[in-house]
Amino acid sequence: MSMTPEEAQNHAPKLDDVGEFLAHSLALENEAAERYDELADSMEVHNNHDVVALFRKLAEFSRMHAQEVKEIAAKYEVPHLKPWEFQWVDPEGPESGAIENSHYKMTNWHVLQLALHNEERGQKFYAGCAVLSDNADVKKLAQEFAEEESEHVDTLKEWIPRYPKPKENWDEDMDPPAVNE
Amino acid sequence: MEAVQLTAKDYKSAVKPIWCPGCGDYSVLAAITNALAEHGRPLHDVAVISGIGCSSRIPAYTSVYGFHGVHGRSLALASGVKLARPDLTVLVAGGDGDGLSIGGNHFLHACRRNVDMTYVIMDNQVYGMTKGQASPTTDADWTQSKLTPEGTGVNPVQPLTLALAAGAQFIARGFSGNPRGLAKLIYEGINHPGFSIIQVMSPCITYRPEQRDWKSMMKDSAYEATDNLAEANRRLLEEGDFSTGVIYKGPKPAFNPIGSGNTPIAEIEKEFAL
Ligand SMILES: Cc1ncc(C[n+]2csc(CCOP(=O)(O)OP(=O)(O)O)c2C)c(N)n1
Ligand code: SF4
Repeated sequence: MSMTPEEAQNHAPKLDDVGEFLAHSLALENEAAERYDELADSMEVHNNHDVVALFRKLAEFSRMHAQEVKEIAAKYEVPHLKPWEFQWVDPEGPESGAIENSHYKMTNWHVLQLALHNEERGQKFYAGCAVLSDNADVKKLAQEFAEEESEHVDTLKEWIPRYPKPKENWDEDMDPPAVNE
Repeated sequence: MEAVQLTAKDYKSAVKPIWCPGCGDYSVLAAITNALAEHGRPLHDVAVISGIGCSSRIPAYTSVYGFHGVHGRSLALASGVKLARPDLTVLVAGGDGDGLSIGGNHFLHACRRNVDMTYVIMDNQVYGMTKGQASPTTDADWTQSKLTPEGTGVNPVQPLTLALAAGAQFIARGFSGNPRGLAKLIYEGINHPGFSIIQVMSPCITYRPEQRDWKSMMKDSAYEATDNLAEANRRLLEEGDFSTGVIYKGPKPAFNPIGSGNTPIAEIEKEFAL
């Protein structure tokens, strides 16, 4: 289903330079990998070992995608952008899931919800770039990347039933860190 | 030999942060390391100094020189480091409790002394490390701590207004939820010759879970930085606690100790003779 330009603006900037588009794509994947690793580390530290492996696997996938983008990028001149020069529509990249939504007792079901949210945003980012850009090469690459992201979304949707939705009191802790509660 | 381009990752140590998952300080660490990478100084030319608190753990998580000091004394320590080693880029990291309660006195004098260093003060309006007591920036009517069940009843400190009054020459506010924007503020702070202070609204999701809402409350300032003190004060009042950006960039030069400091002790003693 294609987006209208108005919708696209909610998800993507107008990038008319292939190098700049690829710089964004690389950052998107690298930052997603770093964020998943960061979450894996913090879950490890908090002894929530059940979710560490899944976070690591997601980090590994993002690194693989970064590598694929890197290979394409080798054919173009990709500029160095300072962190604040990226034109994401939100403060963070589309696949760097909101860190404040993690919890030390989160389950694999939550991890997959977070990953699904990220991949859906990534898909919309690329689809939006394809709609907004005036550059034929950017349009073509963005369309391809959007299709790949759709596949990732489908894969995650297949995985989700493997992990049952946790009970409502999943975050209950008999020895909570917050004594005020 | 060609200089190696360092990335933000190079400025992170192998120590895994023990912050609560979701703590704003993770993003502050990312912003600091991103700003350092853009600045491009070698690891051995940078020092990060702190006091005590969750936020003060940052030196352990960076790969540059670090000193995890005494509660409230980070600015005094950092001033010493910078004066002894003016060639270093010095950053200071800490919390509102560390910097404004026990360290409040050092805060005032660091602002007026204007030693060339960058202070990143992570404001979560609570003492996180000691399990959630009110800090100097906590609202007077916050009742969630058993120590102050009816609120503190005390007006919260406005860190940037205080810094401005005390003579700080670079004043900015950032948000951990916008780590890229924050990296830019820290980068500019490092480039500013003199004391730069960046107040970072960094949620404590464990003891102040309602601070998750800051994400929808923070906004970019409508103004560019000013060099006019009265105007900076007016903007701080007008835009309130949730606007981000560089507010004030003043013209005063950085602290530069004059004299050789080698007056003989006997001469000094004469001053104290009864
Ligand atoms: C001299 C001294 N007094 C008191 C303490 C206890 N103490 C440790 S951290 C802290 C406050 C932490 O709050 P803040 O600086 O805001 O940092 P946060 O943990 O919220 O990041 C206090 C009072 C101490 N370690 N040393
Ligand atoms: S207690 Fe609060 S400030 Fe400390 S690590 Fe946890 S969330 Fe962060």
